[in-house]
Parts: sequence; structure tokens; C-alpha cells
Amino acid sequence: MNEIKPKNSRVERRFAVFFLAPALLLLITFRLIPLGWGFLMSFTDADNTGQANWVGAANYIKAIEDPTFQDSIVNTLLLLATMPIMVMLPMLLAILIHQGVPGGRFFRAVYFLPAVLSSVIVGAIFNIVLRYDGSLNSFLDSIGIDGVDWLGSSNTALISLIAVQLWSTFGMSVLIFMAGLTTVPDDIIEAARIDGARFWQRLYFIVIPSLKPIIEFVAVVTTVGLLTNMFGLIYVLTGGGPGTATTMPEFLIWLEQGKLNRPGYAAALSMFLFLMMAGVAYAQVRIMSRNAKV
Amino acid sequence: MKLSTKLKLAMAVPAALFAGQAVAQELTVWDWKSGDPATQAYFESAKEAFKAKYPEGDVKFVVQPHDQYYTLLGTAFGSGQGPDVVLLHGGSQTQTRSEALVALNDEADGFAGADVFSVDNDPYAVPLTIQGFVVYYNKSRYAEAGLNADAAPTSWDELATVCEAIIAKGDVPCFAMGNKQGFGGEFFVTLATANTFTEADYTAWAAGELAWTEPKVRAIVDLFVEMNDRGWIQKGANSTAKFMDEYEMFMRSDAAHTVGLLSDVAHWKQFGEFLGDENLGAFPMPTPGVAEAKLPFAGGIGWGVSAKSENQDAARALVSILTDADRQATFALETGALPANPNVDTSKLSSPSLSAILGIMAERPAGMPHAVLNPAVLEEWKRQSQKLLGGETTADEAIAAMEAARAAN
Repeated sequence: MNEIKPKNSRVERRFAVFFLAPALLLLITFRLIPLGWGFLMSFTDADNTGQANWVGAANYIKAIEDPTFQDSIVNTLLLLATMPIMVMLPMLLAILIHQGVPGGRFFRAVYFLPAVLSSVIVGAIFNIVLRYDGSLNSFLDSIGIDGVDWLGSSNTALISLIAVQLWSTFGMSVLIFMAGLTTVPDDIIEAARIDGARFWQRLYFIVIPSLKPIIEFVAVVTTVGLLTNMFGLIYVLTGGGPGTATTMPEFLIWLEQGKLNRPGYAAALSMFLFLMMAGVAYAQVRIMSRNAKV
Repeated sequence: MKLSTKLKLAMAVPAALFAGQAVAQELTVWDWKSGDPATQAYFESAKEAFKAKYPEGDVKFVVQPHDQYYTLLGTAFGSGQGPDVVLLHGGSQTQTRSEALVALNDEADGFAGADVFSVDNDPYAVPLTIQGFVVYYNKSRYAEAGLNADAAPTSWDELATVCEAIIAKGDVPCFAMGNKQGFGGEFFVTLATANTFTEADYTAWAAGELAWTEPKVRAIVDLFVEMNDRGWIQKGANSTAKFMDEYEMFMRSDAAHTVGLLSDVAHWKQFGEFLGDENLGAFPMPTPGVAEAKLPFAGGIGWGVSAKSENQDAARALVSILTDADRQATFALETGALPANPNVDTSKLSSPSLSAILGIMAERPAGMPHAVLNPAVLEEWKRQSQKLLGGETTADEAIAAMEAARAAN
């Protein structure tokens, strides 16, 4: 019988490190080092002229007292409150397509189309549709309804932004749910149908519990997208306005760093955003670990 | 002492490198103009003149997107990298970056508009153009509303009469305004104060010492609200981009007035091409209680030298070339920009509205307070102007917010 010698284990470990090294190097170079650098910068008054003086926690205190940052956090919370729609709508559409509604393949392709468009293109399209002299108001005017400044009024700008974000991202979620639906046992659903369970009963008691890991995954991915990938859309559609109606933390970070020349303050805002993202990542790891143990 | 071969090589390589650098003066220039076909003759001419002075040298113009320009520039400067020569707007965009630039006292001597590129009387960019605000109007729309097309309003009350006639006709709004990025509000800072600010006011304003509760400053908010409340401003201004939705609206004759520029874009040349020179009028913005309105103008865009440039002498020489009389004349003819170099012959630039503008510039000049407003305070005003247009805040609340922003910055 051959024994596994320690020397071979050392060789295997060295081999493993050799394969992991490039990825680790990229992670350290492009994630960890900039994170640490940004963290240090957040304690300075850096102003893009190469000068930076230590100011301690002043940037963090300023952020907490900054009404614009406060509004951006409120907007983020409002955005996150629409999460149920962002998750449930694609799920329901995926279920309907999976059920075999007429034109299912066509709908699947059409729903996915926005996902291949960049946020700038999506913003440009909906800018034409939603502006005061745009297509939507023209249509409303043709049926005798007064136009609304969808992007220019604080009452409607955020909901318009959310609607456009939903339109541009739900297709990917539909695809993910459709993949997940293939794992739902058809024989259980068939048995329930034979026993007289209605569509909503089958959905609630069989399909949704089976899709639980998929729902959690989509929720996490959607949250990450909402927190970090809306800049292009905001920039093109509303510019963060009117007022602070559509200002989100990542937009504010860009404003402070690029337009107002305050990278030190922008770094502090970035740390707040990082903490939000870290919370989401932690929740993801906990949920996925719990599912793995089940 | 005999040197080893390795040591000789070790000394030769850096020597060769440094020798090469001393001969080749390659300059990198950032701007947002060199991609415009209309400006090609200007940039080519500058390149040729530089090569004539530095035969071994070369100039690389790198065009950056205008709306990302200062983000990219700030990142480049902040990392100690970046171009040798940069194009800059006058006002706070140059003044807040003076630490990253080189003072160009000799090069900017005698140029108009150098003050908005200066900190403590040291200019950090040499002006290429003069920029200012003027109200352009569509003479056909005046005639349709029963107004005298050649009689531009000279007072606030006359402007009110004009707008009421335009509104009563019902075809177009009195003023096109694009306030999506807050530029409508930004321009209004100057429009509302140009007629009333003294030099002392301007200095205090630039230092952030003039409170928004002061009557002359409060007028920015009060007049903006009044124009909106009286229905002079188009609906949907908050979802209209100033560049170029507002101006395209005016060029389509879908508005009677627009607040345009003097140089470069959205100006007499561009509007004249669409509406016809004879159909375009211009007047300085009147404000209540002022007998004769002034025309605000200052340095528009200018060329600066990065303090981190390794080719300081060559960069300064290039800036001198880019702003000399020949080059500025070429730029002016190509784009209709008003040159900052006083030695440029502007007689070939002509249109009825330009003649009116130049006359008022000479007789009643004014500064541009918006250009020297603290950038963070200006951003807050942009937000407040959007809320005011939407009726979501009052003048007093907006002023309180502006005072808080002034105190915080």
C-alpha cells in the first residue's frame, strides 16, 4: 500500500498557490490596495492637486451632516423598498413563460433585449420618451390627458428612474428564474394539479419554496446592481435632479470627486457605500451558507 | 581607473535616455475641441508653428469628452500624471486647480478676460476666447405677437410686456430654458447680478462673503421665481438639457428667447445660420430698477500648463502659439468665438446681432459672478433652481439652503 508522503502534499500546496497567485494578485492590486488607499484618503482633504492634509474624521462627520448625502440615503432606501417588485415581477413572468403561454419564446427574447443595452443607451432612449415634450406626453395629449414632467418633477422623477431601471434589468432576472424553474419537479406540480390545487396554490406552496435559493440570489444581485450600477442611467436621465430627487450615493461620489474636486470627501462617501455593500455581501454569504447546509 | 564593461553600459543607458529626452519635446495636450472639424485649421496651424520652433518636437492633441473633462483631469492631476497643456474654462474650474498649474504672467499679459483665470492676480491660463451671456430673440415671433421686431426690450417692464404678448399669442413660450443639469439656474446667477454688482460686490462674492440674504444676491432667487410664476419660462425646463435641447428649441423657432453665449456654441453665428442673421436679435438681460442693462462677459476658455509637466519651456511656448493673434484669428473665423487677444482683427466676423453685442460690450461691460462662485455652492444653487421651477420650494427656503451651503463651504 502506498503512503501519501508529506512531501507530495507540500508540492500540491505549492502547485495550488501557483494557480491561485494570478487571481490573488489581481484581487490585491485592483481591489484591496485601492480600498486601503481610499480608506486612508477619506481622512484627508485631498483636492486633486496632489495636496492632502490629515483631517481625521471630519469628512465622515461632514457626510453625516450633509443634507444631500442624507437625501441620497433616503433615495437608496426608497429604491431598495421596490425590491419585492424587482424580484417578483421577473419571477412571475418566468413562471408564465415556463407554463407555456403563447409566444413564450418571443417574450423571453424581448424581455432579455434591454439587458444587452448599456445604461447610457437605455437612458438616452427613455430621455426621449419621458421628457416633457417626449413621446409619452405626446401620447397622453392625444387622448386628452395633460402631460407630466416625468423626469423634471420630484414627485415622479425617482419612480420614473426606478421603472426604467426595472425595464433594463428584469430580463436577466427572468432568464435566471427560468433556469431555476427547470429544477422544480414537474411530477410534484402535476400531482398537486391532479389533487385540485389551483395555479396560485401550486405557485405558493410548491414553486416559490423550490425557487427560494434562486429568489435569494436574484435579490442579492439586484441589490448590488441598484447600489452600484445606476450611475449611467441617472447621469443621462436626470443628472441626479430635480434637486436631490434622484441623487444616489454613487452619483454623489462622482460629483464630489470629479466636479467638485474633493476626492477626500468622495472617499469618505465611498466608505459608507462600501459598508452598505459589505452588509449585502455578508447577508449573501450567510444565506448561501444556510442553504448549503439544508 | 579602468571602468568595467558592465559599469560603462550602466552609465550609457540612462545617458542615452536623458539625451533623447533633451532633444524630443513631445507635448500632450488635453482639450474638448480638437475633435471638432470646425477647429482643425486652428490646431494644425498651432502644431506647425510649434514644430517650426522645436523641429524635434511634436504635439499630441488628445480630445476628451466635455462632460467628463474635469473628472478625467482631476484624476490625472491627482495621480501626478496628466497632460503638459490643458484647455480650461475660466472661473472656478481654473482657479480651484491653480495649485496644479503654472502661473503664466508673461504669456497672459494684455489679454482680455485673464482675471477669471487668475488667483491673486497671477493668471494660470491664457484666455483663448471671450465668453458671455446675452438674450437672443426671434424677430419673427415678435412680429407674429404684434411687437416691433427691431425694438428689443431695454427694461424689466418692457420685457414683461414682450413676454405677455408672446404668451397671449400662445404659439411658443417666452423663454426656452434647459435646467436639467442646472445650467439654466447657473446662467441666471450672472443675469440677475451683472447689472447691480459693483467691483466690491464681485470681490466679496468671489470670496464667499456676500450672503444670499443681501438684496442684490436675493434678486437671483426672487427674479427666477418671478419669471417662473409669470409663465415666462417653458414648461418642462427641468427635463430639458441646456446643451443643446434648449438651443435647438430656439433654433426651431419654438421659443421667442433664449439666453445664449457669445462664443463657440449657442451664439450669434450658430443661431444666425438657422434663423437667418436678419431674423436674430440680441439684448442684455434687463433687471428691475436698472436704466441700462450691462452685458456680462469674461475670459471663456484658455490654455494652461501643468505644474508637473517635464517640458515647461516647450509647454509655455505652445500656449503662446495657441493664443497668438494668428491662431486666435483662425479660431475666431472658424467658430465665431470672440478672441481674447486684443491684437486680433475681428472685422471679418459680422452679423447684425454681433454688431449690437460688440457695441454693448464696449459701452456697458459687466463681470460674470457665476464663474467665481464656489463650485459646491453653485451645485446647491442648481438643485434649488430645479426645485423652484417645480414649485417644490419657496424663495425663502431656497435662500436658507443657499446660506447653509455658503457656510459649509
